[in-house]
Amino acid sequence: MTDRPCKILVVDDEPDLEPLVMQRMRRSIRRGKYEFVFAHNGVEALERLNEDEDIDMVLSDINMPQMDGLTLLDQIPKVNPNIRSVIISAYGDMKNIRTAMNRGAFDFVTKPVDFNDLQVTIDRTLQHMNEWRAALAARDKLVSLQNELDVASKMQQSILPREFPKRDDYEVFANMAPARNVGGDFYDLLQLDDGRIGLAVADVSDKGVPAALFMMSTRTLLKGAAIGHEGPGEVLREVNDLLNESNESAMFVTVLYGVYDPATREFTYANGGHNTPLVVHADGSSTELPLTGGVALGVMPELPYDQGTVTLAHDDTVVLYTDGVTEAMNAEGEEFGVDRLQETFAASPPQDAQQANQTVFEAVHAFAGETPQSDDVTCLVFRPREAAL
Amino acid sequence: MNTKWESHDGAIVATVDGRVDGANAHEFQEALEAVIKASESAVILDFEQLSYISSAGLRVVLLAAKELRKQSKQFAVCSLAGSILEVFKISGFDQIIPVHSTQAEAIAAVNA
Repeated sequence: MTDRPCKILVVDDEPDLEPLVMQRMRRSIRRGKYEFVFAHNGVEALERLNEDEDIDMVLSDINMPQMDGLTLLDQIPKVNPNIRSVIISAYGDMKNIRTAMNRGAFDFVTKPVDFNDLQVTIDRTLQHMNEWRAALAARDKLVSLQNELDVASKMQQSILPREFPKRDDYEVFANMAPARNVGGDFYDLLQLDDGRIGLAVADVSDKGVPAALFMMSTRTLLKGAAIGHEGPGEVLREVNDLLNESNESAMFVTVLYGVYDPATREFTYANGGHNTPLVVHADGSSTELPLTGGVALGVMPELPYDQGTVTLAHDDTVVLYTDGVTEAMNAEGEEFGVDRLQETFAASPPQDAQQANQTVFEAVHAFAGETPQSDDVTCLVFRPREAAL
Repeated sequence: MNTKWESHDGAIVATVDGRVDGANAHEFQEALEAVIKASESAVILDFEQLSYISSAGLRVVLLAAKELRKQSKQFAVCSLAGSILEVFKISGFDQIIPVHSTQAEAIAAVNA
């Protein structure tokens, strides 16, 4: 993994091992494969290890003055847990060999040292260590990547409005339950002129950091377009054209954007390939808003987005949601579906925006049971209220 | 997900079964890209055996459509089961990508 020679610390109190190693390993030393440093007992060995972080492995005798090889084995991980040790023992000294292995030695060679065997043992040890280090590096990279994803996920959450208007003439409540990965759902509320409010729910294709970035730019473009244009159809048309200006990765986003005017109780909406919202009546019966066509945004430029308009009763409830709601799966692999959503409201007619929103999440949750959530679940509910007209 | 490729009268037909979702969309993308690169023919995706496609899967279909259009090759999907057809309709993909009810129709259309 590095170009420098592998540095091996040889620990032995017998003075003849050093010249022997240097002589027998001279080819590998000359080629820059190994580099040897020496110590004469465990204490000296620990000093070397403390001074020199580059030491990759230790080759140590067992019987030595001051600190023996078995004690040294206990100490090495405290200096550097990633060093591998090979023990040199007397032939047949199985008791010490077993102790050494139990204390974490990677391998052993016996005296008199067979240098061909030693070379194989060193190579094997170093190879193991390189793989171990590569695995550690990969793990660290994964951890830091995961941290970045967590940051992205938090950013995504933090841009979602958490305060919802509850006025005399309308109220809104929304929530997004993110799946484990960084996803691409969002909702937004936009205060417009003349007391009107813009409401958006969107779902970016795919997940991960690219989806999060695409979602961020969609949200910004939508905000800008919503303020600059009157009708939701024009807003989606502009956002679509802008998203298509540079979209090599073929990401797309489905958006339902509508504007509610409390003065007329009209809800005007356009749909960019998104799930059709439900209008739930006071008795719990519900209908899907009429279809307006419209392709997901980012797919192709210069597409038209037709608008639809409905006049709402003061006790109607409009439910905007993403496919995380209708495609939530149970253990049998069935999808929650629009029918179940409608049945849910039939059984529990909306009381207010927050309660209706919670009803949706509770129903999806109960349906999915233990099945892991694979997609973001987003639901935005708004209700005209008594006043107006 | 399993993808089976067959050559039919000037078109490469991929029969895709199971689920295409975030977990295997990349694999699906690589398979499609390889076929588009290797062949001069039109490409047809037969979704009769497909049980689910997520937005990540739709993105791969869109990528293929864009690439084939760039190369002036024909592209179509066919035999969409109920929920798959619904996904195509909701997302508006049926307005962008030719959708046929049978494989024979799709083959006839790309050869027309």
